[in-house]
Amino acid sequence: MSKTIIINGKECVFDGNKTVLQIARENGFYIPSLCYHEKLGPASKCRVCVVEVDGIRNLQTSCSTAATDGMKITTDSPRVLEAQRMVVNLLLANGNHNCMICEKNGDCELQDAAYHLGIELPAFVVEEHEDKDDSGAFIIRDGNKCIQCGRCIEACNRLVVNEVLDFGFRGGHTQVVCDGNKPMGDSSCVQCGECVQVCPVGALIEKKAVGKARSWEIQKVRTTCPYCGVGCQQELHLKGDQIVRVKGVEGAKPNDGHLCVKGRYGYDFIYSKERLTTPLIKKNGKFEEATWDEALDLVADKFKQIIKESGPDAIAGVSCARSTNEDSFYMQKLFRAAIGTNNIDHCART
Amino acid sequence: MDASIKKIVARYPDEKSAIMPVMQHLQRENKNFLSEDAMDQAASVIGCSKSKVYGVATYYTMFNTQPVGKFHLQVDTCVPGFLHGADAVVEHLEKKLGIKAGETTKDGMFTLSRVQDLGSCATGPVIQVNDRYFENMTLAKTDALIEALKSGKEPENDPSMTVISKCGVLLNDRTQKDCRTIAFYKKNGGYQSLKKALTMKPADIIEEVKEAGVRGRGGAGFPAGMKWSFLPKNDSRPVYLICNADEGEPGTFKDRQIMEFNPHLVIEGIAISAHAINSKKAFIYIRGEFNWIADILDAAIEEAKKDGQLDNVDIVVHRGGGSYVCGDETAQIESLEGKRGNPRVKPPFPANSGLYGCPTVVNNVETLSSIPYIIQNGAAGYKKFGNPNNFGPKIFGVSGHVNKPGIFEYPMGTPLKEILEAAGGVKGKLKGVIVGGLSVAILTAQEAETLILDFDSCVKAGTALGSGGIMVVNDTVSIPELALRTIEFYHHESCGQCVPCREGSLVIEHKLHDLVHGKGKIEDIDLILHLTANIKGLTLCPTGEAFAVPIQAMVTKFRPEFEALVKR
Repeated sequence: MSKTIIINGKECVFDGNKTVLQIARENGFYIPSLCYHEKLGPASKCRVCVVEVDGIRNLQTSCSTAATDGMKITTDSPRVLEAQRMVVNLLLANGNHNCMICEKNGDCELQDAAYHLGIELPAFVVEEHEDKDDSGAFIIRDGNKCIQCGRCIEACNRLVVNEVLDFGFRGGHTQVVCDGNKPMGDSSCVQCGECVQVCPVGALIEKKAVGKARSWEIQKVRTTCPYCGVGCQQELHLKGDQIVRVKGVEGAKPNDGHLCVKGRYGYDFIYSKERLTTPLIKKNGKFEEATWDEALDLVADKFKQIIKESGPDAIAGVSCARSTNEDSFYMQKLFRAAIGTNNIDHCART
Repeated sequence: MDASIKKIVARYPDEKSAIMPVMQHLQRENKNFLSEDAMDQAASVIGCSKSKVYGVATYYTMFNTQPVGKFHLQVDTCVPGFLHGADAVVEHLEKKLGIKAGETTKDGMFTLSRVQDLGSCATGPVIQVNDRYFENMTLAKTDALIEALKSGKEPENDPSMTVISKCGVLLNDRTQKDCRTIAFYKKNGGYQSLKKALTMKPADIIEEVKEAGVRGRGGAGFPAGMKWSFLPKNDSRPVYLICNADEGEPGTFKDRQIMEFNPHLVIEGIAISAHAINSKKAFIYIRGEFNWIADILDAAIEEAKKDGQLDNVDIVVHRGGGSYVCGDETAQIESLEGKRGNPRVKPPFPANSGLYGCPTVVNNVETLSSIPYIIQNGAAGYKKFGNPNNFGPKIFGVSGHVNKPGIFEYPMGTPLKEILEAAGGVKGKLKGVIVGGLSVAILTAQEAETLILDFDSCVKAGTALGSGGIMVVNDTVSIPELALRTIEFYHHESCGQCVPCREGSLVIEHKLHDLVHGKGKIEDIDLILHLTANIKGLTLCPTGEAFAVPIQAMVTKFRPEFEALVKR
């Protein structure tokens, strides 16, 4: 049965178990939130998503407050906005949140929160700096921009289960560490980039994207990762015809935003001058460009010849890991039905 | 896995709980230093990631992930230490050893550190050397301590202070040499209550405790019997009882008085309570700095077991690693599960989902120690002490500027004046009193004049009874400096999880530092008040409130002192 909550006087209908933040977003209310991420669940740590709930004395974090039928919520009272402004101001007070040169400019949840709350400059400044870690092959970590929301840690431990990242130290000294506080490049991190995918600010960024494009120059194109048969959904960030970065598509099957190191960072090959653009046929010891018809005819002729001379079992088919299930199905069908052999295999079998 | 580590791991239902004890063991075996190898070893023994272990090791202050000297001199310079002159001890040691706090002498003999609250408030200044306390230190005694350590002699500790028990329920006669033994305890009627309780139905015990109206002595004052009755009925999961002995609120040193001198009282209280809530496994989570008291508890548990007193419950003493926030019940549960001591989001509450996701009750040492008396004398006997809604005996600790600091077991509802008189009266002219541990609002001398010490009266007076740790401040003390010490403590102890606490305490510390050092502006005072007003009630756990309330009170009540520091 549908339930209703009232947000700023508007009746919002929902089904099932939902939090106040989820319903607010579905109904077009902006509540700044920094530690909450749809696929990681509520963390209740940043305290910026607080709202007033009728009948409860203290402000409540909307990310962790379960909506109940008839609940009355206020997201824009002076009390709420003052608390939210204080939290964002506190985050801006510490570290180096200089948007002008930040890769996340225009795509940063902290910047969005500050913008919506009307914070032009932090009201008070206390700077404590940490070193930048650019030892990773593809990821730059900037502790000066980190807000300790813990999304990257949750993603590393709970989603991809690589268990590299965790919080080290305590209180104001809290930092995200790799293994036993090693530089990322010396740690067991495989650079899958899931941490970058979920980072709300510019604390984790793609090394290859630095200086390539501002967020508003980016055209986003959805595609399927060409690397393996899983078919991960990617969002290419393009400037002109050049890929600036690759993101996983959140909420899309099968990967829900995850990508592996190859899918996320291994895209340079498409610009390689050595990349083959036509089939090649070796003639007199030298490869020569050919058409697809020529190449396929040649292969078919050779197969027929081998079958005639040595029987179909002289031929074997190996499908590659890039093939989808459907491709692999067709491969075995071709070899069993058309060629007549059961010699089929897959490169990832061993 | 070597035998001693195996033994540690075997004490816990879940091996992850052994992370801290295993690291404590490895650190002790390696000159008080927890090396990277040791952390890797702990990770492989427990079966968790290296970063998890590193995160735990660096969360707690007692793990030394950098090498320290043979003797680690840790001087408590938190508020009670500050009032007792600990800064002079630090300065003296800096001069004597030729190093600054935070450094190690060239010969590797001494590391000097300023540390936060060691729970020796009436016996300050206190220096913790590795895991031993040296209390009531003067400069001359500090010299003697250093000489003794240098020459390899075993120095003596002087923990003397005033001890008065008007109620005779919680404190025993510590002047008796055998006061800790089970023989002494039983001679004075000990374990009779347990015997009686085991013949009673659990529900009847809960009813009696509810009727007695015993309110939690950890600070919040929540009715203990009611807490027990929140446990789910007909649940197949095991129930855990945790005795909260993580006494860390500055100004508080009451629980250690029971545990150190009257350990069987706590144990009997745990055994009765465990029977009442059907718990077969109980933990005493004791702050790691009280290592020798943990040893006393371990020995007393062994004695009680041998005497056949603990057939209904297995009690494990778990040593913390140096963290104030672990006094919060959900942080304590996290810590006991082998994690960083970050408080959990509530709900769920521990009664439904606590330790290992099972129903759990966390009670303070003093609360549990009241249970044997209630069983023996009934709720009516307990209610002879105190006022309605505020019954029972209460241990007050008095530190700071009084002539005879110490520990006082008086009925709830005793006037503050009477306790201060028992503590030898105020030294000098009274400026303010903090009555419930550092996290409550300071009272001016005038406000303190008529204060009654019980939960409700303190709330009415605009403060809180908290843990009953009373700190007396005379007019030699600058309140802005006191405020700076206060925020330094909370900023140091903040778990770092939520923004208002982590960053708010940092900004307030910076602004108070500026003010105290003549670099402040009038706007800074207003900013501090703006922050404290908004932080209250906004944080994930009560720690935000624990500093917002006292800082706000100090600034509001003594604003002219803050303004006077601003150069015009």
